[in-house]
Amino acid sequence: MTSAGLTAAHLGLTTCATCGLLSRPASDTVPGHCPRCGASLHRRHPDAIQRTWALTIAAAICYIPANALPVMITTVAGSATPDTIMGGVVFLFTSGSWPLGLIVLIASVLIPLGKLLAIAWLLIAVQRRALGGERARMRTIRLVRLIGRWSMLDIFVDTFTVALVQLAPLMSVQPGLGVVFFGAVVVLTMLAAESFDPRLLWDRNPLESTHD
Amino acid sequence: MTEPAEQPLNAGDLPQAIVEPPRRRVAFVWIVPLLAAAVAIGIAVQRVLTEGPTITILFHAAGGLAAGKTVLKYKDVDIGQVTEVRLAQEFSKVAVTVKVDRSARGLMVEDARFWIVAPRVSLSGVSGLGTLLSGNYIGMQVGRSTREQHQFVGLETPPAITDQPGRRFLLKAHDLGSLGIGAPIYYRRLTVGEIAAYALAPDGDGIDVTVFINAAYERYVTTETRFWDASGIDLTLNAEGLELRTQSLVSILAGGLAFDAPAFATGGEPASENAVFTLYGSRAAAMRQPDPVARRYLLYPESAAGLRVGAPVKLLGLSAGEVSEIGVALDPKTRKFRPRVLITFFPERLLARLAGAQAGAGRAFMDAGPAARLELIRHQVDDLGLRAQVQSGNLLTGERFVSLDYHPEAPREKLDWDQDPLVIPVLAGGFDAIEAQVQGVLAQVDKILVKVDKMPLDGIADELNKTIKTLDAVLKAADTKTLPEVSQTLAGLDRTLATAQRVLKDTNATLLSPDAPGQQELRDALQEVARTARSLRVLTDYLERHPEALIRGKGQENQ
Repeated sequence: MTSAGLTAAHLGLTTCATCGLLSRPASDTVPGHCPRCGASLHRRHPDAIQRTWALTIAAAICYIPANALPVMITTVAGSATPDTIMGGVVFLFTSGSWPLGLIVLIASVLIPLGKLLAIAWLLIAVQRRALGGERARMRTIRLVRLIGRWSMLDIFVDTFTVALVQLAPLMSVQPGLGVVFFGAVVVLTMLAAESFDPRLLWDRNPLESTHD
Repeated sequence: MTEPAEQPLNAGDLPQAIVEPPRRRVAFVWIVPLLAAAVAIGIAVQRVLTEGPTITILFHAAGGLAAGKTVLKYKDVDIGQVTEVRLAQEFSKVAVTVKVDRSARGLMVEDARFWIVAPRVSLSGVSGLGTLLSGNYIGMQVGRSTREQHQFVGLETPPAITDQPGRRFLLKAHDLGSLGIGAPIYYRRLTVGEIAAYALAPDGDGIDVTVFINAAYERYVTTETRFWDASGIDLTLNAEGLELRTQSLVSILAGGLAFDAPAFATGGEPASENAVFTLYGSRAAAMRQPDPVARRYLLYPESAAGLRVGAPVKLLGLSAGEVSEIGVALDPKTRKFRPRVLITFFPERLLARLAGAQAGAGRAFMDAGPAARLELIRHQVDDLGLRAQVQSGNLLTGERFVSLDYHPEAPREKLDWDQDPLVIPVLAGGFDAIEAQVQGVLAQVDKILVKVDKMPLDGIADELNKTIKTLDAVLKAADTKTLPEVSQTLAGLDRTLATAQRVLKDTNATLLSPDAPGQQELRDALQEVARTARSLRVLTDYLERHPEALIRGKGQENQ
């Protein structure tokens, strides 16, 4: 309560998530519907923590095959070469274009991993009711949400290459199964970041947060 | 929370409502990680299940193999991929690690063979052209063993045969000659198989050649079959005439083998897989009857001229043996050198020609024992006058053979019946007569040749034909096989010449005769040219007189 002081939750009020109208809930257990727009009211997003955890864990699971399976299968003159993300990074580093390799490493390996770790850190902080650092945490969640919409770059490049390089007998590029999992990682972390309710960050009172 | 604070004050005696702790609901959103885990584990399990064995193949050189690129193929299907190429065995070999698909696990048995497929050009064909585009790959041949193995030694050259149905046989050869892997094997000049492999025999005494006969023809290889080297051109000139044998152009260039059953063979069972045969140097050697019983006799003829080792020995004109050694001896009495000819006599060859019941009697006689045999020979020589004679076999080549005939009029000779080998008396004479005859024949041939020289061109064919017929008649011993072919060819030449003449005559008729259409047309054309020239002259004359006509045209006043 260093910065915010009073919250709506403290006063037993609820904000409509859709239209932002501040209203008194119908009862303690069943908040009812918004008198202005008719959306159902929640003091906090229902099961926000549980849902975020589920999506984060799902993304973490998908992160393993996304890196282990090939994302692209290049067939040159009859011999197919499957390439994983890390394989591509290693190839770029060894072939001398390390700046490019660094970009791929950061964009395709480190950022998804960083997002997963960031969301997990926020969830743990909320569940432990750790005090202080709300601003840093808010900045983190904003950053995660911002990056999320740019993370499909890999999928975009993959799709482009597959569509363009189809010189049937000489050379062709096929998408690997890894790209599906990579896409799943990106989508699931985005959903996890969206389903996380940042208001939980400043809910201190155990009685206040009936989130799980 | 905040609500209880707003309760009416006078309700303190009412029972307090129980606040149940909120039920812990398990959100259905947990299906998402479960689903992700299920899919990921499913893929992992599938990967593990489809994981095949990893094998290592040793090669002398990597020959265009690259880790992650080169594939292992069986029947042109990819069944594995090279994952590593490194030096092994103190840098002397290349160890290639191949990850094999699980579906092909059963192929990795101890006698499976591997080799590098690269484009190859050889006399018998071009192979592996596809690798020019796709890069080299590792080919394999499946083994018959069922014991799994993961360490292999690669072949340096691909085996000629992969997995066609058929049988393999082992041939014991004296040397390799001009044979190579893939060289064809002929049966009645039909290609029925090829040489699959060869190696020096373990004891270094000869070459073991493995041949492969396609399943369709394997039954023609019987226990009686003889194999011989059909490479190149087999040209033999001996007392039996001139013989030229070849199998095919490929066999001349690349070598080849042929097999057949000898004429005396009686059926024989189809040979079993890996049966061992002897590889003979020539068809004649292969077809020669095996002579298990051989008797050696000594002759001291007047001259050994024209005789050679291997020359036939004939009894009453039937082949019964061969000359096996020619040397020289010093006559102890006269101190004169004389040729010493050792002949090998095969009594079984004569026995084989005995008819019916006599065969049994002959065999019984042969098996009778040395004393009885000696008595028989003594009877032949002393009482019936059996004598050896060196005779001319082929007048053209001067080859001679040993003939054994009865000469009752020949003087009795005193022989030592105890020496071994026995000496068979030689009947001298007859030689000069034959020599003279040969001279006469040769003179005649000379005359004919002079005549041939003088012949007009178009008559040559007929004349030659006639000459050859005369030759044929005169040289009874000469080959009867080649000459008809020559006469046929010459008749063909004659026909060709006649045709050529006809064509020339036709050309004459069409082009050169005065009434030929070509001639007439030429004449007409020349007349036309003359007419044109005339009218041109008229025109130039007119223009000289009236140059203005070029502009004004032909005026009326000029008419």
